[in-house]
Amino acid sequence: MWDKEYLEKIREEKEKWDKTIESHKERTDLPFITDSGIPVKRLYTPLDVKGNYLDKVSFPGNAPYTRGVYPNMYRGRVWTMRLFSGHGTPEETNLRWKFLYKQGETGFSAAVDALTFNGIDPTNPDGSPEVGTSGVPLYCIDSLFALAKDIPIDKISVALVVEPFTSAPVCAMYFNMAQMKGYDLKSLMGTTQNDILTMTVGYIPYKNVAPNHLLRLACDFIEWTVVMKNVPKWHPINFTGYNYREGGIDAVQELGFVFSSACSHIENLMERGYKPDDFVGRLAFHLAAHKDFFEEIAKYRAARRIWYKLMRDKYEAKDPRNYGFRFHIQTAGSSLTAQTPQVNIIRTAIQALEATLGGCQSLHTNSYDEAICLPSEEAALIALRTQQVISDETRITNTIDPLAGSYYVEWLTDEIEERVWKYMDKIHKVGSIDKALSTGFLYKEMRDAFHKRQTRLEKGEEIMLGVNKYTVPYDECTDVFRTNKEAIRIEQERIRKLKERRDNTKLERILDELRNVCEKEENVMPVVMEATKEGATVGEICDIYREIWGIWEPPLAI
Amino acid sequence: MEDEKIRVLMSKPGIDGHWRGGIVVSRVLRDAGMELIFGGFQNIEQCVESAIQEDVDVIGLSIHSGAHIAYTKRLIELLEEKGLKDQFLILVGGVIPAQDFTELKEMGVANVYGPGTMTGDIVKFIREKVKK
Repeated sequence: MWDKEYLEKIREEKEKWDKTIESHKERTDLPFITDSGIPVKRLYTPLDVKGNYLDKVSFPGNAPYTRGVYPNMYRGRVWTMRLFSGHGTPEETNLRWKFLYKQGETGFSAAVDALTFNGIDPTNPDGSPEVGTSGVPLYCIDSLFALAKDIPIDKISVALVVEPFTSAPVCAMYFNMAQMKGYDLKSLMGTTQNDILTMTVGYIPYKNVAPNHLLRLACDFIEWTVVMKNVPKWHPINFTGYNYREGGIDAVQELGFVFSSACSHIENLMERGYKPDDFVGRLAFHLAAHKDFFEEIAKYRAARRIWYKLMRDKYEAKDPRNYGFRFHIQTAGSSLTAQTPQVNIIRTAIQALEATLGGCQSLHTNSYDEAICLPSEEAALIALRTQQVISDETRITNTIDPLAGSYYVEWLTDEIEERVWKYMDKIHKVGSIDKALSTGFLYKEMRDAFHKRQTRLEKGEEIMLGVNKYTVPYDECTDVFRTNKEAIRIEQERIRKLKERRDNTKLERILDELRNVCEKEENVMPVVMEATKEGATVGEICDIYREIWGIWEPPLAI
Repeated sequence: MEDEKIRVLMSKPGIDGHWRGGIVVSRVLRDAGMELIFGGFQNIEQCVESAIQEDVDVIGLSIHSGAHIAYTKRLIELLEEKGLKDQFLILVGGVIPAQDFTELKEMGVANVYGPGTMTGDIVKFIREKVKK
């Protein structure tokens, strides 16, 4: 980016400077590396920034989108403040949503419970103690009416955090509810997580089906909503690096996982006869804002450049509107401690600053009680206020991509990009994303990451204040938010009433049709829409998947 | 028998898929020379069944769902029914609020490991309590 002669002059001066500091001691407590293990020099100068400005950095809204996907970024509107929340029952979650909305939240995100994730009805004793304990139970269409009560879902976007195994039934219930309330599906805005890796390596699935079927279900949903334009403004998938990053993989692997997964979905849809331009503009991403401040910012900038190159060169998308890498951020839950949880407010604020300096479109900030329980109302409000301090008080939104031109940030952006391409090649050698799962490759990567991170913590190579430095005992230091103990009874009763009301003969016929559709290579969505409207539960739909495709045991590695 | 290994069952009751803790601890115990039986997802009946069949010394429950009281209570009840309560060292780990430690211990859990646990402490505790 600089004149050659001038660079030579800098090089000479730099050599002199290097000599002068040889006698200055450096700390030896922690190695100077990024969280991903990239060695960091003591100083970056123009000598480290390769290439030219217009090709590599350019302007926001212009290729290669390093500086942001929109020309105006936060000067147009700030990111969506979207707190991931759900607990107890749909009614209680609705109250929490309305509370946060009143306090300035600008998007909703439904955290569902383990039964909803796994397609298990609350009558199943294996899972019933977990009704509403880790999210909102959404088992049937009535639950969706309760969740969305008095919420203007045509004006505010809603993220439904469910994965391919249950995305069709849960979202079909949502779409049916919206239609029955008089909304046009074409006006609905929102996102379905629908991420194959979340419920395979992010969490371990309980009685789900094999990855090739999950990939098909994910792509059925993309096809039905946006390619066939039934819900054209929806984001039908959100490749969620966050969830596996939390397991301990690094920033480079996080991007490697999400891009490899995205490529497999694009290729599946191309095999169905569609062009990338028919759908890639609706694909979205969800990344982590972790502990390494500059590395995370460089990661977002690198991600935008990689996605642009994938779209333009690999998939030959023609419409520049389809080149933009749009992403939601969650601050890193795994960086938070149960010891002195107030410190988590500071950690989260710093991570939220990374996300916003990195140009995210939407942001969840964790509550300070994250390491102990689901968020209390007070903790969730502080998390929301953390974002509002950044947006309303710090003035960081005055200018776009303010860290561009930092020698370190530009160098690190290049470095991460290069490492991600290499890591994607490594995954690609194993095969498509369903193969990377079924062969156990990704499980081994996760397993290695689990142990690497734990070892680092135990050896003190990574600091967690309160846990391995300035240690404090784990005690009753904060109020624990408890989910509603009556939720089991309430949800079982909800299902009982629904079953009494519905036309079981008609439903059986529709479920038979779903069996046929599953066996053939047809899109499941039309029949799942019909079934959930007639009162089929999420568990009943998923039981048909299990019956036709069988239950998959993931190749876990210890 | 001096050289007999301590046998540990690592069980994940319920359906919640937060597995990192269970896997990390399993590896550590195995590396510490214990015989690790990885039960995976198990309902409490299956957990007790494996503990008996595998003749383990330790039952470890890994719980991150917030349902730790319900699952642990069921385990203790079932062991009591079978007259086996004192046969196993029962450990519970996961996202367990400190406020619940006493209740779990009163039920008969030997120790509880919350967030931020150093795995070496678990190894040490098992070695102290299980003499082989």
